Amino acid sequence: MSTRKTINRFATIGGLCTAVALAATGCGAGGPTNSGSAASTVNVLVEAGGHAELTGVAEQCKKDAGIDVNFVELPYDGMFNRLSSEFSSGNVSFDVAALDSVWLPSFKDAVQPIDELFTDEAKKDIFPALVKEANVDGHFIGMPAWTNAEIILFRTDLFEDAANKNGFKAKYGYDLAAPTTWQQYKDISEFFTKDGMYGTDVKGGVETEWLAHVLQAGSPMVLDENNNVVIDNAAHKEALDFYTSLTSYAPPGAAQVDWAAAQNLFNQGKTAMTRFWAHAYRQIPKDAPVAGKVGAAPMIGGSAGVAGVPGPWYLTVPKATKNADNAKKFVKCAYDYNSLGIESSLGLASRISAFEKYQDKSGYESFGPLITTLNGKATDTRPATEKWQQIVDTVLVPLLQKAVAGGDSTALLADAKKQIQDLLK
Amino acid sequence: MSLADPRLQGPAATETTMPTSTVTSPPSTTASNGNGARRRRYHAEGLEAGKRSTRTLLWILLAAAMIFYGFPFLYLLFTSFKTPIDTIAVPPTILPREWTLENYTNALGRSGVLASFINSAQTAIISTVLSLVLAVPAAYGITRYKTPSGRVFIMAALVTRMVPPVAIGIPLASMMSSVGLADTPIALSIAHTTISLPLSIWLMSSFFEAVPQDLEEAATVDGCSRLGALWRVVIPVVSGGIAVTAIFAFLASWNEFLFALLMTAVRSQTTPVVIANFQTQFGLDWGSMTALAAVYSIPVILLTLLLQRKIVAGMTLGAVKG
Repeated sequence: MSTRKTINRFATIGGLCTAVALAATGCGAGGPTNSGSAASTVNVLVEAGGHAELTGVAEQCKKDAGIDVNFVELPYDGMFNRLSSEFSSGNVSFDVAALDSVWLPSFKDAVQPIDELFTDEAKKDIFPALVKEANVDGHFIGMPAWTNAEIILFRTDLFEDAANKNGFKAKYGYDLAAPTTWQQYKDISEFFTKDGMYGTDVKGGVETEWLAHVLQAGSPMVLDENNNVVIDNAAHKEALDFYTSLTSYAPPGAAQVDWAAAQNLFNQGKTAMTRFWAHAYRQIPKDAPVAGKVGAAPMIGGSAGVAGVPGPWYLTVPKATKNADNAKKFVKCAYDYNSLGIESSLGLASRISAFEKYQDKSGYESFGPLITTLNGKATDTRPATEKWQQIVDTVLVPLLQKAVAGGDSTALLADAKKQIQDLLK
Repeated sequence: MSLADPRLQGPAATETTMPTSTVTSPPSTTASNGNGARRRRYHAEGLEAGKRSTRTLLWILLAAAMIFYGFPFLYLLFTSFKTPIDTIAVPPTILPREWTLENYTNALGRSGVLASFINSAQTAIISTVLSLVLAVPAAYGITRYKTPSGRVFIMAALVTRMVPPVAIGIPLASMMSSVGLADTPIALSIAHTTISLPLSIWLMSSFFEAVPQDLEEAATVDGCSRLGALWRVVIPVVSGGIAVTAIFAFLASWNEFLFALLMTAVRSQTTPVVIANFQTQFGLDWGSMTALAAVYSIPVILLTLLLQRKIVAGMTLGAVKG
């Protein structure tokens, strides 16, 4: 009988829990949503790291245009699947989507043109590479919300040390300072590789840095303007050889090093320099061994000059939303109050004027180098192909991993060319 | 299984039966009797020592298994108390150099965390109840009416477990959206039930198999209907099994990520998605991520402790068949 009682008790508790759960199920605990309706609420889909960038804009938009903003935060790794799912179904749960620049070509048919927001004044205040990237098939489809690029972060305490200065000058014949060329970067990396420390990192797990070197060597990345695969040209080989030559001055296991690992190594004081996204300058933990000892400089230059690969996110309005007017109002707010993003934890913007407003302030020393890099004459965006993400995942990253492990660069590039040609067929 | 079976008579029975081989040797003299007793004692001591060493070995293996399974969780727990720079130390450290609760403050203070907990609980409860309501009668029917279609059905249920969730996630999300259930816990519960139901049917089938049919026949002789016998006799016997199935169904929903990622937005986002949001394109907040993950494990640990007896009973149910 006690078992019966236990069963009855479980059944009662289970029934009550279900009743409560079902009663509350109507709207979920996250609050109501009006996605797809013509309400004054706008749902904005954003990668979790970018949410903070738009919080200030949302508050301002509420004041100015009376628009309430709900953010749908998703992790980066799942966002592409979610976007694909909703765009393909034709039912979207958001009115504005913040898209990584590499996804823009993939979703170009699912978002609507916002040409009216790209006034002449706006085009002058946005970095040229971003204006070019936002324009797909003759229409502007995304407004840059924030942008980033790799710059050089270096240890000022090591660079300003008298013994290091003298030792470096004696060995290399010029003053120790933030590097501006490939050769200088290599020399400094070699110099600081001693006593358990390394001069730099080499990231075999991500492709962007090598692509920046390709631009610096004077070639478009992977595909030329006519979509011909040029990955086996001299500039790609020169950039790859330079990239792999740095493995002697980098921590072991370069094939597995990605952004997070490289950032950790630098923040822990294991590397004297790193080529890294500009936002990292402001994200150095206060209790890190290198806190307060880091300087920033523009990305190094090759034979074609300084170049970086911009990393912008674009605000887009899906064709499927029924709330397009308010969605566009929000995008305009994001442009008008773009500098509010700089006050956020990520601390980035997309307008030149926003960066310039802050570049001389303490704590924003990375903005000057970032502006220089983004304005670099060889700076360019990734090729506008829907297959880009696939090319990166299946060809470029494996290529780099093999290269930093000692593979033959000529053979690897030739093989990569064939693979990319097959993907683009 | 007969009553003479040593398994039913405990360790003493086993010990007394063991030396029978020496007892069968014909006793001849007092001396030989003394030798025999000594031999038996040595033999018994040898067995005792053998048992002790086996037990020690088993304890060592158990401890090793516990460390193997428990260490990742312990590491997560320790990381949740580390300072930001400690969480990314190279090489990593196990214990925090400085203990802090800051990660918990950050994680729990983040907007949407409380709502996500409520959503996770709603979704898991509904999904568990749905799974049990469907699995118990299905498993009972399959085990009691051994029809060819029943066998096909249970195999088909197993096959659905082999379909990768990502293959059905996107169509399922579209279907829920088209019936107006987008971004609701009920939609997510239904999706989670597709994961837990096949396993629940299989588990419940094995538990029902272990219940002798004589019990039901006795109940029907006493005037119970078939359903009455199920409710009054069979279900109390398999209550441990139901608890085990409920735990599995609950855990499947509580920890599920992919469907939650594809099917929830503002209203019904669950905690696994919120935990994943600490890894962004611009960095990974290890401290807050591990703190929230540690908090999220508490209900599951409590539930397991609460139902521990039922779970153990359920796991052994069906292990011994008479």
